[in-house]
Amino acid sequence: MSRIPAPYLAAFIFPILCLVAAHACAQSATTSDDAAAKLASQICSSCHGPGGNSKSPTFPKLAAQQQPYLAVQIQAFKSGARGEQEAHDYMLGMATLIDADTAVALARYFARQAPPQGIPGDPAQMAAGQKLFTQGIAGRVAPCASCHGDHAQGNGIFPRLAGQHAAYLVRQLKVIQGNLRNSPVMHGIIKDLRPEEMKEVAAYLQSI
Amino acid sequence: MRTGTSPACGRALLACAGLLAWLGFASTSQAVPAYARQTGQACVACHVSFPELTPYGRMFKLSGYTIGKRQDLPLALMAQVGVTDVSSNKDYQGQKIVPKTNKPALSAVSVFAAGKITDNIGGWIQWTYNNLATNSRNDTVGHSGIDNTDLRIVGRSENTDQTDMRWLYGVSVHNNPTVQDVWNSTPAFGFPFTLPPNGISQSAATMLDGPLAQQVAGVSTYVYWNRSIYVEVAGYKTADGFFSPLRAGQDIHTPGGVLRLNGANPYWRVAYNREWASSSLMLGTYGAHFKVYPDNTMPYTPTDSYTDIAFDTQFQHISDPHTYTFQYTHIHENQHYAASYAATLASGPIGAGPAPANAHDTLITDKFKATYYFERKYGATLALFRTHGSTDAGLYAPASVSGSRTGSPDTNGYIVELDYLPLQNLRLMVQYYGYGKFNGARRNYDGSGRSATDNNTLFFNVWFVY
Repeated sequence: MSRIPAPYLAAFIFPILCLVAAHACAQSATTSDDAAAKLASQICSSCHGPGGNSKSPTFPKLAAQQQPYLAVQIQAFKSGARGEQEAHDYMLGMATLIDADTAVALARYFARQAPPQGIPGDPAQMAAGQKLFTQGIAGRVAPCASCHGDHAQGNGIFPRLAGQHAAYLVRQLKVIQGNLRNSPVMHGIIKDLRPEEMKEVAAYLQSI
Repeated sequence: MRTGTSPACGRALLACAGLLAWLGFASTSQAVPAYARQTGQACVACHVSFPELTPYGRMFKLSGYTIGKRQDLPLALMAQVGVTDVSSNKDYQGQKIVPKTNKPALSAVSVFAAGKITDNIGGWIQWTYNNLATNSRNDTVGHSGIDNTDLRIVGRSENTDQTDMRWLYGVSVHNNPTVQDVWNSTPAFGFPFTLPPNGISQSAATMLDGPLAQQVAGVSTYVYWNRSIYVEVAGYKTADGFFSPLRAGQDIHTPGGVLRLNGANPYWRVAYNREWASSSLMLGTYGAHFKVYPDNTMPYTPTDSYTDIAFDTQFQHISDPHTYTFQYTHIHENQHYAASYAATLASGPIGAGPAPANAHDTLITDKFKATYYFERKYGATLALFRTHGSTDAGLYAPASVSGSRTGSPDTNGYIVELDYLPLQNLRLMVQYYGYGKFNGARRNYDGSGRSATDNNTLFFNVWFVY
């Protein structure tokens, strides 16, 4: 029996190994995705609502949120970088139960959900908020849209803000301003933002 | 009602302050009980203030306490130390009615084995040491026994787009009708959440309102659909044989010590639940039919029957910093003394059983409670209660303090409670019970000259769970 030349053997085996590895990865991702979907629909939905569309402003809407942002936040809950009271009361324990693969799969799950519908508020407040979001405040606050996107859809680790609960947004602005939530870049940008300006931009973001 | 602060009360407050300081020191790490350790979440995730449940707390309970990570040592502790002050604590002969008043007293210590066993099985067993149990001479003695218990097997499924839970279903084995319920409008976990130990209580209570607690074994099956429709059916029997641990510590040998049911007794529950923004609303109904032996030591006689039909509602608004909740229930009980009335007419009551003057009676209970919390830390509650029903001189006969001159069960009043939770697992509270009518009358209700307001009670309490 003649021997198969090594290059031919390698050319034959390598694609098979790649296929096996790809299949294993896909299998693992599918398993994680299944686990994440189950977790999201049976546990997370109790606070964050069906498909991440929460009803209570205590809990953020996660539907259509940026996947990298969600994955980073789950790690932040675990590490204690999210130091606000709600993070400790509700999320710290839950996040520590989520392994790395499931965390990524959960982020994928929420990122692919339909975005939440906007809820309009006071027109004057929304108009002022829109101006702040798109133009910032000269010499004091940079335009939010430059990182969060023209439609507040988010970008990678910069979260989607469109359709988010206004009360939740105000609360997060306050905890970031107070350094309870470790976010140095954002802290620097909003450190001079006033409470009424927080309400205005939050009203606008909730409406879109 | 005496309102001055006696030296004993001063010492009580000092003791409370000392205890608080100790707890504060001891609890700097993670002072939360078994479920909190299991989920890693704070008490406020599941409780408005313990034990009133939030929407998430209700899901946790219906999920069989299985959310989170199983603990190697799933234990928790609870203790209560309080001071009770009864407006007039002497009967017409000058004998003290409620023991150990006007001084701090450890009333109870409980140990819980609680939590997840598997992803589908969980529960909780409470064992309580009552430090102020009373004997026949009205002396306080220590006594321990099983308390509320609820063990569950559950299942669940998602909707087709995997965005939410569609079905949540399970089986519960428990020992107190309505202890398995997740809304705090039903009796077992209704307000008041704790009482003055050995407080003076009215003569009459419907069967669903406490008389069967820790005496029965209940097996219920439930389904919760789309977080909106809840349906449950259950059967209750006396907790004997295999189920006897569910009534461990009860006085089952003394005639009249407990109630004994004949066979399996049906219970049902239907509720509609809706959640929006920071609010939730429940409208529900529940009921049961019980066949009860007149004397618990004579389980071979004919039985009396009690049919309870109840309606309840609950509204909660939970936000920061304002939280307010309302609960109301109306329980209508038809009592049919088929055994006891016939026996009383013929030759006298059956053993230690009731001696009704009527073959049929009704008993109705209404309870309403409104609670406000600021930052889930400072709370105030107002509750109104009323029990009324048929006049029956055989059931409600004159007797000092506990009896009725008029033969009427009518009792009404209010409870005011102020709470301060410096830690999520520590409640400092003061309760005041004011009675407008007691056992049928406002004045001389017992035939011995006692007024309803003589039973007004002030209760300071420190309630700690770990």
